[in-house]
Amino acid sequence: MNARKSLAITAVTAVAALGLAACSSGSGGTTTPTGGASGGAQTSAADYTATLTLWENNTTGKGPQFWTDTVAAYKKVHPNVTINVQPVQNEDLDGKLQTALNGGDAPDIFLQRGGGKLAAMADAGFVADITNAIDANTKAAIPASAFAADTYKDKIYAVPMTVLPGGFFYSKDLFKQAGITDTPKTLADLNDAVTKLKAAGIAPVALGAKDAWPAAHWWYWFALRECSEQTLNTAADTANLSDPCFLKAGQDLQAFAATKPFNDGFLTTSAQQGAGSSAGLIANHKAAMELMGAWDPGVIGSLTPDQKNLPDLGFFPFPSVPGGAGDPTAMMGGLDAFSCSAKAPQPACTDFLNFLATDAIQESYSTAASAPPASSKAAAAVTDPVLQSVMAYNQKAAYVSQWLDTRLGQNIGNALNTGVVDMLAGKGDPASIIKAANDAAAKG
Amino acid sequence: MTVGTLDATEIRTRRTKAAKSRELAWGNPVIYFIALLFVGVMISPVLYIVIGGFRTNSQITVDPAGWPHPWVAQNYIDVLKNGIFWRSFANSTIAALATTVGVVALGLMVSFVLARYSFRGRGALYTLFAAGLMFPMTVAITPLFILIRTFHLMNNLLGVILPGIAFALPVTVIILVPFLRAIPYEIQEAAEIDGCGRMGFFFRMVLPLSVPGVITVGILAFIGSWNGYLLPLYILNNQKSQTLPLTVQTFASGPYSADTAKILAFTSLAMLPALAFFSLFERRIVGGLTGAVKG
Amino acid sequence: MTDSTRENAPVVVTSPVNLSTDGGSASALPPSGLARRRRRRGGAGLAGRLEIAALSAPAVIIFVTFVILPVFMAAYYGFYRWKGYGKPTDFIGLHNYVVIFQDPLFHGALMHNLEIVVLSLVFQGPIAVIFALLLNRKMRGQSIIRVLIFVPYVISEAVAGIGWSLLLAGNGAFDALMRDLHLNVLDRDWLANPHLALWTLMIILTWKYIGYATILFLAGLQGIPEELNEAAAIDGASYWQVQRRITLPLLGPTLRIWAFLSIIGALQLFDIVYIIWGQYVASTAGVSTMATYMNQNGRISGNFGYGSAVAVVMFIISLIIALTYQRFVLRRDTEGALTGGGRTR
Repeated sequence: MNARKSLAITAVTAVAALGLAACSSGSGGTTTPTGGASGGAQTSAADYTATLTLWENNTTGKGPQFWTDTVAAYKKVHPNVTINVQPVQNEDLDGKLQTALNGGDAPDIFLQRGGGKLAAMADAGFVADITNAIDANTKAAIPASAFAADTYKDKIYAVPMTVLPGGFFYSKDLFKQAGITDTPKTLADLNDAVTKLKAAGIAPVALGAKDAWPAAHWWYWFALRECSEQTLNTAADTANLSDPCFLKAGQDLQAFAATKPFNDGFLTTSAQQGAGSSAGLIANHKAAMELMGAWDPGVIGSLTPDQKNLPDLGFFPFPSVPGGAGDPTAMMGGLDAFSCSAKAPQPACTDFLNFLATDAIQESYSTAASAPPASSKAAAAVTDPVLQSVMAYNQKAAYVSQWLDTRLGQNIGNALNTGVVDMLAGKGDPASIIKAANDAAAKG
Repeated sequence: MTVGTLDATEIRTRRTKAAKSRELAWGNPVIYFIALLFVGVMISPVLYIVIGGFRTNSQITVDPAGWPHPWVAQNYIDVLKNGIFWRSFANSTIAALATTVGVVALGLMVSFVLARYSFRGRGALYTLFAAGLMFPMTVAITPLFILIRTFHLMNNLLGVILPGIAFALPVTVIILVPFLRAIPYEIQEAAEIDGCGRMGFFFRMVLPLSVPGVITVGILAFIGSWNGYLLPLYILNNQKSQTLPLTVQTFASGPYSADTAKILAFTSLAMLPALAFFSLFERRIVGGLTGAVKG
Repeated sequence: MTDSTRENAPVVVTSPVNLSTDGGSASALPPSGLARRRRRRGGAGLAGRLEIAALSAPAVIIFVTFVILPVFMAAYYGFYRWKGYGKPTDFIGLHNYVVIFQDPLFHGALMHNLEIVVLSLVFQGPIAVIFALLLNRKMRGQSIIRVLIFVPYVISEAVAGIGWSLLLAGNGAFDALMRDLHLNVLDRDWLANPHLALWTLMIILTWKYIGYATILFLAGLQGIPEELNEAAAIDGASYWQVQRRITLPLLGPTLRIWAFLSIIGALQLFDIVYIIWGQYVASTAGVSTMATYMNQNGRISGNFGYGSAVAVVMFIISLIIALTYQRFVLRRDTEGALTGGGRTR
């Protein structure tokens, strides 16, 4: 029948087309260096010709302006390189990127989250190994520990832009109001502070448990304190959480949660999504503190009544836990970095990455993102006292770990996050958190 | 239908009552009250969204249930002044209209075949379309993306329109087939006796008679396309070609936060065209077949 | 309704596997002689076949290319363990499916879906019918009310989700309003409380989709000739008798189509739950669906092979339910066969 035949023909054509798609080349222009050495953008005489696409997530506020300025600055040094910047909403970025990489239509430069996502990309050969393309200037500016987050199998895949250590962001005014004179140094201090705040009628801790990871962060920090550095690293690398210190972490969190320190309705409070989020609660003095990463001052600042940074915001690191095997000064944090795709025109792409590591760019990115820069040279330009405090503690840390869910990979990390929320909702216990992580292994 | 015996007076009274109720009067106040009650319940969340656009994020956090205090028109003004808003508005309109026309045309044609012809593969064809309803788009998106890229339709509104038509076809077919089937055979016979072929019958009789169904599926297709997010997200990278739902996100959501008040303002404005489309056409849903087939 | 109208079912030509509303909305058919003629004309004949092909080809081509093909490809991924990057290489056969069927989280999600299916039909059907009857009468303000009832459907799911989150979150507007009005008993945790969450979801779903049901029914009501109602009224039937004996049965086919769409939609439910409850709280609160389960354990966890397998399972479950529905509900449809015309001949 005619209809059937046309169906068959369509099917065959489409399958053939798909087959051909696999062989098609990716995006990216050509690149022709015309003499001159590579190196920092300020001194390079190389004149590449290339068109690059860049995907980033800083879509509002000072973000767009930063990118316009940066691209313009780069064009001054390399007039034949055109960079098209594409802002993508943060939550959508990973999915879009993954589909684009698979479809062979990926951007040349993109935001890199590191951890399991980087591992998967690298295994599939989608991201460029830049270990040998990092110039001296970048190596001097950015500490090795920052590169560690984007290293996989001893190869470096991204240049860091901001480091985002975590800890408590709190309202000094509300603490004073409750009669708390000193920031908590030990778990006992923290419990004491919670009691005082509750007595003063203030919600002690804002928690955006709807997004799960803010709740899981509490577990990760307790794990950081309870487990030795060695145990933590082994567990993260092997995704094996059988060491009793992880169970202990869950018990610590359960005990803490039993004192009812979180805001009302924390299970349906989001972390950062606008009004009503945990950041919004802090911004409007409806809760006293929250455990977050170094992007928080900026987010809080956007939610205050006058949309300026909260003037009485302060920072203190996660307190020590009695009997914990981990170092009490250890810090945990995240990192934003940029990678080149495997098909990007080289050396134009890595040259741009090195350009991003220069002091001026690091400084302005830090301002635009309201987060501490990765480059230690640019750190001096940070004026926000809260961020300065965060960076100081980060410098003094005995060791720094990336967020545990990033290190463990999406699958296990996601399951852990769920497990923690379940426990806080009364549907699980410390052991079920570990069990959830183990069960997840079967799915991926 | 059995009717009990009634005496003459009763019949007369009921007849007058029946006549009266058909007047275009204000109708029964009780009915109005119930209707308004329901409408109020339906509308209040929407009103919350619209009025929320007149507040700041801080206001919403501090006093969730309060009125704007003060009224902040800045969010709405920012949206209306923004060139990107209008460009995405245009893109959305083009995509939605094209999708609607495509869905109605193709859907009508294939529904006509399914409803009025009989052939061996009919059941299979219907099942094919119905089955398309049952697979979630979020999983189909990865291979779909590769397909669209192969056809060189990236960053092209056609890359959104064509799949949009495809995904809207199942509902269209499911709704239209009964409508088309309900056209009495006598009409078709009459048309054939008069010398119209099946095609003439289609254009002269079927189309006008199936207007309520066609309008309904047209409205559903328009709204589906207008609100579509997933497909444009993956296909339309270029800001110039983006549609409204995408622009909300990039407009009002930063890397770590979301400007709730601005999102509310933006979406309040974005829903107006779909509403306008509906109110333009909903009148035609009524009064389609009534009296069309008089004896 | 006269007796001749009941002659339809046995004479209509049907094909073996048939999801269509054959018996349902078939018009009144004349006695067998004419039907035999129709059969021949509709089926055989080159002209007929060409017409069929020409009319259905565009729709079929577009549909197969953009819907069916991706579906098969996605199903293919379900046999692999795949991180989503590059080609799938780790073939594990049916392993994903085994894990799915043994996962208590999936059982919970499936159960929630079934609850939502049933409750959607129970809540939305009657209310939408009443609305449609209401809005079918000629009265002032008819258009405006229709538009207003339809507004929730016009709003995208994402925006509706944002709005309702703001309203119902712990520190949201609704609870605050209840406190202000001193109706503290209504100041509950509408979202996270497992006893309340499902009902909250049903209220939100009804709010969103009642407009959709109403216009479907309105369109269906248009096929019922005024004359029938008038005749019945003259014969002395009350309003409700008319509705019960004439209108509802004639609305039958539309009702059954709507129910079919509603069931499938309820099985695929994702956006509203995801945006209001988030993926983590959804299962604790008892409102996780197969689609949120798929999203959480598939895409978000980077398990694209597993996610594809869940999608295939969803598809098969929907298909089974759809086929069962077609067999037992749509096939048996011999009453209420009229939608317009086809009266006394």
